[in-house]
Formats: sequence, C-alpha cells, structure tokens
Amino acid sequence: MSQDTELSHFLKDVHWLMDILQNIDVGLVVLDQNYEISLWNQFMQNHSGKAPEIVLNQTLFSVFPELSEDWFRRKAEPAFILKSATFTTWEQRPYLFHFPHYRPITGTARFMYQNTTIIPLMNTNGQVSHICLIVYDVTDSAMNKLAQIEANNRLEGLSRIDHLTQLYNRGYWEQCLEKEFKRFDRYQIPASLIMFDIDHFKSVNDTYGHIAGDDVIRMVSATLRSQLRDTDLAGRYGGEEFGVVLTNTDTAGAVELTERLRKQIENQMVVFGEQEIKITVSLGICELNETIDSYQQWLESADKALYYCKEHGRNQSYSLPQTP
Amino acid sequence: MTASLLNEDQRDCLQEIANVAMGQSADRLARLLDVFVVLSIPNVSVLTPNDVAMTLNSLQALDGHEQQLTGVCQGFIGDGIAGEALLIFNGTDYRDLAQLLKYDNNAENRSEILMDTTNVLGGACLHSLAQQLDTHFSLGSPTLLGEHYDIPDLLNKREVTWKNALVVEINYTIEDHRVNCDLLLVISENCIDGLLEKLNYLLD
Repeated sequence: MSQDTELSHFLKDVHWLMDILQNIDVGLVVLDQNYEISLWNQFMQNHSGKAPEIVLNQTLFSVFPELSEDWFRRKAEPAFILKSATFTTWEQRPYLFHFPHYRPITGTARFMYQNTTIIPLMNTNGQVSHICLIVYDVTDSAMNKLAQIEANNRLEGLSRIDHLTQLYNRGYWEQCLEKEFKRFDRYQIPASLIMFDIDHFKSVNDTYGHIAGDDVIRMVSATLRSQLRDTDLAGRYGGEEFGVVLTNTDTAGAVELTERLRKQIENQMVVFGEQEIKITVSLGICELNETIDSYQQWLESADKALYYCKEHGRNQSYSLPQTP
Repeated sequence: MTASLLNEDQRDCLQEIANVAMGQSADRLARLLDVFVVLSIPNVSVLTPNDVAMTLNSLQALDGHEQQLTGVCQGFIGDGIAGEALLIFNGTDYRDLAQLLKYDNNAENRSEILMDTTNVLGGACLHSLAQQLDTHFSLGSPTLLGEHYDIPDLLNKREVTWKNALVVEINYTIEDHRVNCDLLLVISENCIDGLLEKLNYLLD
C-alpha cells in the first residue's frame, strides 16, 4: 500500500471518529490542567447554546460561573493525580451544567439531570495532561426513580397510619417501641411509655352507637396529636387504647403530659346529634429502667399502671415504678 | 475453601496482586489526603451469594447501629474479567471523613462524601489491579447502597445467576481518624475465566 492511500485511510478513520464524537448523544468536554476547554462537542454546544469558538481556551469556571470550582476540582483532581476515572451522579448533585429541559410534551423535569464521568487522558509520556468530562442525560431514569421513591414513601405512610385516628397503627407503633427500647439499652437515654384508654368506652358505644364511639375516638386522638412533640411516637394500640413513646423524657415529664391531656379531654365534649357526650381517660406511665428487659415487659408495666388507675376511680394518671 | 474456582497457586498469585493493589491504592489515598493509611492483609475467598450477604451483614453489625448498610457499589469489566466493587463503610465518623476530604461544611451531604471516597479508593485499587493484570477496566457509574438498594435483601430475594464468587476483601483504616471501610471485589464464577488466564500467564 502506498503512503498516500495509508494516509487517506487514516484521515477517513479520523473523519469518522470526529463525526461520531460530534453526533454521539452524550456531552464531551476535554479540559487541560488549568481547566481550559480544549474540546466541546455538538451535544454540549446544542444544550448550552454556547458555540465552540466562544468556549474554547476559556476556563470551565469562567464559562459556567454557577459551577462550583471547589467542588469540581475535588472531583477532577483524582483523575489527574490517581489516573483513574471519577464519577458524579444526579443523586449527589442533579446536574453539572444547568441545561433547561427541552421536550415540551414528554419532558416533566425543569432541567436535565446528569451523571458525569471524568476520565484521565494520557499524553505520550504517560502523564495525565488532560481530562475528558463525559456528560450523560439521565433525566428519564432520574424522574422514574424519584417517582418510585415518592410512591414508596406514600405506601409506607399508608401502611403505618391508622385511618380513624391518623396515629400510627399498632404494628408500626410496636416497631417504634422496640427501637426505643433498644436505644435505651445502648445509650441509656431516658424514655417513658404511656398507655391510656377511654373510661367506660363500652357504655358510650352501647348508649350512643358505634358512630358516636368513633367520634369520641377521633376527639381523643386529635387532642393527643395536638399535645405531641415531634419526637413523640403515638399509636392506636387497640379499639380505644392508645400508646405514646416519649423519647428523652422521664416520669415527671410524662406525668406533665398525661395530666395536661387528661384535663383537656375531661373539659371537652363530643356533640353527636342532640347529644353531648363527655368522657374521661385513664393513663398509665412507665419510665424505662435497667430492670425491664424487653419491650413487652415495658408495655406490661405501663399497662399495670393503667389498671391501677382503673381500680382507683379512673380519670387519673399513675406511674410505675413508684419513686419513694 | 468451599469450592475450587482457583487452585492454590492461582489463589496465592491473586493474593499477591491484591496486596500490591492495596498498597498502591493506600499510598495514593495517603498522598491525596495527607494521612497515614493502616495496611492490613487482603483476604481472598470463594463465597456463595448467601455468604456474601452474611459478610455484608457482619460488617453492618460491626457498625453497632441498626441502620441500613452504608456504602457504594461500582461495576467493572474488561478482558474477560467482570465484577462489582463494594465499598462498605463501618465505624466511620462522617465529620472526620468530610474534614479529610476538605469539605469545610460538615453539613455537606453524606452521599457526596461516600462517592468521593469511592472515586479515590475504588478507582485507585481497581486501576492498580488492572495494571498488574496488564489490562484496563471500564468502570460503571457508582451507585449508593441503602437508599434504593438493600444488598443482603437483593442477594436473598432475586434469582442470582451464580453459585460461587471470588471475593477479595480489603480493609482500609486511616490512622488517628475514625475512618474505616472495607472494599469487597466480587467476581462471580461466570466472569472469572479472563482472570484465571491472566493469573496463569503471570505464574508461567
């Protein structure tokens, strides 16, 4: 083969490669050690609206002032120093370059989510003289994943919440109780448990019917919710029985809450048709201590305190163990 | 060893390569972060999917917290060798790590820090491994574990297409900092031929 044809083959290959680089549906940017742009492909040009003649030989940070220089250097330096590829994903930072989303019909995002890979480019001496930044448009998969996360969160919420009271249901609340118990085991952070129920609830149901009974439960749970701090975990344990886990709270703190709750419920009434229903609650408290060795036992102790109230006239709170 | 994916010589050879990769990557990490990295001996073993799940669970248990596994995984492929690198963080104080990576702001998000460490450690280790085997790996984009993926769960539930995998476990600890992580390179039996060929070549 003559040198001429060899050269023309070579040129043809290069021409093809250049065509591919230009038309490939990913962004390609080559940067030198000063972060000056040496290559800017069609994808970058089209999405940024900046032509190569404007960006070439400019630093990346002067062309895109919104790109944090510190952040980007931290990603790119390992490629220079370690000669290995580094990656950024949309989950850490949604995009490197703010490219508005361009599809009016099927596009649901406001901007292009991007994953990027930074690969080292070696010169003939085996030194990394440049790096290549590869920008992938991952908008569709990011949107799908975000939608999936949202759906999962919603399902998780649905499976945790009791419909009538909007408190946690028994299953999830017991998990919280167990977690809190284990936390105490490990870190000795004080925690108290309240178990309470509505006094003579059966007679409310028998006298006014179950719909009125539901209204009463709703009133009690709404009052409870209004009294909770963010860290308190309240659940509906049974029909008219409720449980509240108070993190970082000793007996005195728990009694403060139960008394406030008790008085508030005592002073309210549920209007049902012509009827005005007044109810009271009894509340048992148990602060966690070393002698309790399972969350079930913790629950039992609080229940015992609740039964003490029942046996001593109801409409009161009582805590176990009693401090001398 | 439960299965004979490798013979004794091949295993020793791989162990040696892993030693060097560990040393080189630790050296790079040390230079990049200006710290001392405590070296340990990499562990080469053949594990079933269940064993891998148990290993991951035990790393998680070491952490003392009942959280999901924290870590990053990254696929690699090249020259008939393919697998996944899992970087598992346990007993790591993220504020310490953030400081090492020169994030001024402690509130910087944790996934960012995990990704950066993966870029450095996983990248350097795989690079050194590939170099010794005289090949070049293509690396996939790293994925955070925990948030969307529960690995022990994946291994238990999904139909896994392999019975045994070669696992190289490397521990990195940074002196005077609460930073400790394990890098697990998992190469399933279906993707091991290229590696055996390379090892045999080195042994000859």
